[in-house]
Amino acid sequence: MFLHLLFLLSALLTLAGAAMVLITRNIMHSCIYLLASLIGVAGLYATLGADFVAVTQIMVYVGGIVILMLFAVMLTGGKDFVSKAQHLLGLAPTMGNRWTYTVGGLVALVFLFTNIHLLRRLGGMGQVKNDGAFAPTVDQIGNLLLTEHVLAFEISSVLLLGALVGAALIARPRHERSEK
Amino acid sequence: MISLASYLVISLVLFLVGIMVMMVRKNIVAILLGIELVLNAAALNFVAYSKFVTQNLDGHIFSLFIIVVAAAEAAVGLAIVIRFFQIKETIHVDEATQLRN
Amino acid sequence: MEYTIASVAPIFLCPFLAFVINAFIGHRLPRHGDWLSVLAIFISFLFAARIFGDFVFGQFATDYYVHKVFDWFDVSGGGVDFKVAMGVYIDNMGAVMLLMVTGAAFLITLFSTWYMHDDPRYGRFFTYVSLFTSAMLGLVLSDNLLSVFIFWEIMGFCSYSLIGFYYEKEKAGDASLKAFMTTRVGDVFFLLGIVAIWQVVGSVTFVDIYAAIGAGKFAGLQIMGVSLTTFAAFCIFMGTIGKSAQFPLQVWLPDAMMGPTPCSALIHAATMVAAGVYLSLRTYPLMVAGDLTHFIALIGAITAFGAATIALVQTDLKAVLAFSTISQLGYMVLGVGVGSYNAAFMHLITHAVFKACLFLSAGSVIHAVHEQEMPKLGGLRHKLPYTFIAMMCCTLAIAGVPFFAGFVSKDRILGDALYWGTMAGQSKVWMIVPILGFAGAFLTAFYMFRMMFLVFFGKPRDHHLYDHAHHEHIGVNSNVPLLIFTVFTLGFWYCGTLTGQSFGKVFGGKTEWFKVLIEAPQLEKFAGRTREPFSMTDTRPRAELPHAHYHHQSGYVGPGAENEHGIHHAHTIGAIASIVIAFGGILLAFLMYIQGSVRPWADKFPALTRALQRRYYFDDLYVGILIQKAMIPFNRGLSWFDMGVYDRFAVDGWASVNRVFFKASKWFDDVVIDAVGVDGTGVAVNLFNLVLRIVQSGKIQFYFIVLVVTLAGYILAL
Repeated sequence: MFLHLLFLLSALLTLAGAAMVLITRNIMHSCIYLLASLIGVAGLYATLGADFVAVTQIMVYVGGIVILMLFAVMLTGGKDFVSKAQHLLGLAPTMGNRWTYTVGGLVALVFLFTNIHLLRRLGGMGQVKNDGAFAPTVDQIGNLLLTEHVLAFEISSVLLLGALVGAALIARPRHERSEK
Repeated sequence: MISLASYLVISLVLFLVGIMVMMVRKNIVAILLGIELVLNAAALNFVAYSKFVTQNLDGHIFSLFIIVVAAAEAAVGLAIVIRFFQIKETIHVDEATQLRN
Repeated sequence: MEYTIASVAPIFLCPFLAFVINAFIGHRLPRHGDWLSVLAIFISFLFAARIFGDFVFGQFATDYYVHKVFDWFDVSGGGVDFKVAMGVYIDNMGAVMLLMVTGAAFLITLFSTWYMHDDPRYGRFFTYVSLFTSAMLGLVLSDNLLSVFIFWEIMGFCSYSLIGFYYEKEKAGDASLKAFMTTRVGDVFFLLGIVAIWQVVGSVTFVDIYAAIGAGKFAGLQIMGVSLTTFAAFCIFMGTIGKSAQFPLQVWLPDAMMGPTPCSALIHAATMVAAGVYLSLRTYPLMVAGDLTHFIALIGAITAFGAATIALVQTDLKAVLAFSTISQLGYMVLGVGVGSYNAAFMHLITHAVFKACLFLSAGSVIHAVHEQEMPKLGGLRHKLPYTFIAMMCCTLAIAGVPFFAGFVSKDRILGDALYWGTMAGQSKVWMIVPILGFAGAFLTAFYMFRMMFLVFFGKPRDHHLYDHAHHEHIGVNSNVPLLIFTVFTLGFWYCGTLTGQSFGKVFGGKTEWFKVLIEAPQLEKFAGRTREPFSMTDTRPRAELPHAHYHHQSGYVGPGAENEHGIHHAHTIGAIASIVIAFGGILLAFLMYIQGSVRPWADKFPALTRALQRRYYFDDLYVGILIQKAMIPFNRGLSWFDMGVYDRFAVDGWASVNRVFFKASKWFDDVVIDAVGVDGTGVAVNLFNLVLRIVQSGKIQFYFIVLVVTLAGYILAL
């Protein structure tokens, strides 16, 4: 019962948030809506029994990435950034080219129908097997990380290092060129 | 009632919205937001499959790595945005046309 | 004796080689290479003498011959045979001719080393003389009409070059051109005749022609309504008319005296003009088969008499000799016509000797006094004794005085003509031929002695000239040739007797060699003749060669030749008449010019004199009427057609057509190729550019959209 409710709320939050990201003119508002959407996704993880992933999601994504984006927006004068709205049928203030909307809409429809077609084949595959008990996953994930997926683990650490150095290199201030 | 299909539908919609965001928005940071949405959709997909199909935790681990990579990529992407702003004094994506012609 | 390339070819090759060497490096040789020409012709003389000795002293039969051939070119193919073989054909007549030609040429070449010694183009003279001699010898040696024609034309060229030797004088150039063109007229017909013969016989070798005539191949063939034989014979005879200066083509010979005197001696007295008669003698069976002999006799008679009349009023020394040459050639042709084959050939030989000597003596006179006009000369026999002796002997010979060679030959011709005209069973109208012959003989004696008396006797009419005349010395190259010639003007060299009439035999009947050896070709003997290849070894079978016997034959092969008694009778009458006429002519000249008792008759017949001085207006006819009034307007008409019609339409017209094509292709080039092809490609690229530029917007989102669309496409494809 609780599960269904949680699922419903989380799904609603996710999708609403994503839609608002698309529609909102203000970039700061978009970031906040993304944040809401990501919290919703975390809730969905929770309903799936992926407790560690849900928490990691909130910590990293919500607490880290979106904040980072807000910083970037603030650093680049994003608050003042208001894109020219192009009203599509006067219904909702939208941004971007109407052609883009058309093409994008078509693409979305394509994906939609294809996937529904595929999913119908899946049919009654997935019923929640274990309806009640959710075992904690932290231990198992920790084990797996260091045994089966140790390579990816190490590489991801290198990747983070690279990203760190790279980001710092790209965005460093360049006031006095001659100093270097 | 909560089946694999529902999660897949959610991830699908999320994915499509993310692509729409990428296509429609003119702010480069907004485009990065769209990228995050797409990645999240993929991660949700993996976890759902891990729960319903394979019954092991590979999907979870993969989602973790998706999160890691997304973080790294967001960092670098934002660094680029900042650099872009330093040069062009704007973050309107249509100004990024140095590949034109 | 072996007849190989080595024993026959030098006769032709030595002078030819001398010509080639002289032509290229003559001016670098010492004395401009005259000794080379003289040496070459002397070598030829030695070879010819050897052949002559073999033929004459071996005394083979009259049909003895040497015939060697070599293939010149062979273009037969596809079932059609066309092989042209050149060869050497020597029989008795050829051997005698060879000796005469080489001997005369040698003496004349020797003489010209003295005569021409102060000429600026000394070396060139010998070049031409060597070429000419080689051509003449080649003609005598040749066995077919084609090579005769080739050498004929070479001699024509040499004659042209030598007549125009003093090319600073415009008259000399005109005269050389006139000579060449006039003989050309004859040569065209000659070539036509060769073609006609080749058409019938399939070859132009003399032997084949004789065999064909004997086999009757010519019988019954017609061309344009005329018998082919007559046509061919006439055409060949036209060659003789041209080359031997017969009526009506005699106009070139008097003008040819513009050349140097030795050239006149060699070419226009002894050899080239004799080549025409030689041709007629060689093709005599064809003339007989074509029934042309009456025509030939008539032409000869007219020429002999007409030229003699013109010579009566000439004042230039060389002109007298020129007309006398024409006249004597007329006698030879007359002899061929009446069937006096043997005597005609003998007259050719003897005339060559004494006419060459006459010309050389005239040259000696001219060299001494630098004057050719006889009225200015006189009494030169004291100043030029040796020349006087030579000239006197030759004049006696030409006048037909017994003991001299001219009497022998001319008398025989006249006797045969008399027989032919009266007793040979023809209509009496042909009596005109012997009548003209005898009249001409009278005139010959007269004008020749007129010349002698005017030049050598009497008082000098121009003392200035007389005093400055060079005195004569004996010299190897000035007098000795004259004297050698003089020796051979005596009659007994040619017939065994002093008078040629079987009276007074000198060495017995054995040395009537000329009469024995020279005989008209008898056709049946040529049917099965063989010829050997011309090689380094003599491949003839070593059979016993038949010997000739002297039997009293007349040498007359015309109609009625069997009537020996009649022939002998005619000859006796003719001999007596000749002697009377000759002395009569001399007497008249003596009376007119030495004694002065008979005044020259020129005043009595002014119109006739004028006609004679204008050479019967032949020059006026040919140049004034034929050329000026007929040929030149005709030429102008042709050139109008060529330039105005043909050039304008056919040639320039193409230019207009080309212009149209040019415009069309220019349009094509500009519009189709340039505008559409070249510029169009550019425009098309630009258009595509406009299209493609949209794609290359540089916008990230656009690229992303493209990517997504592609992805959707892939998914759809699933």
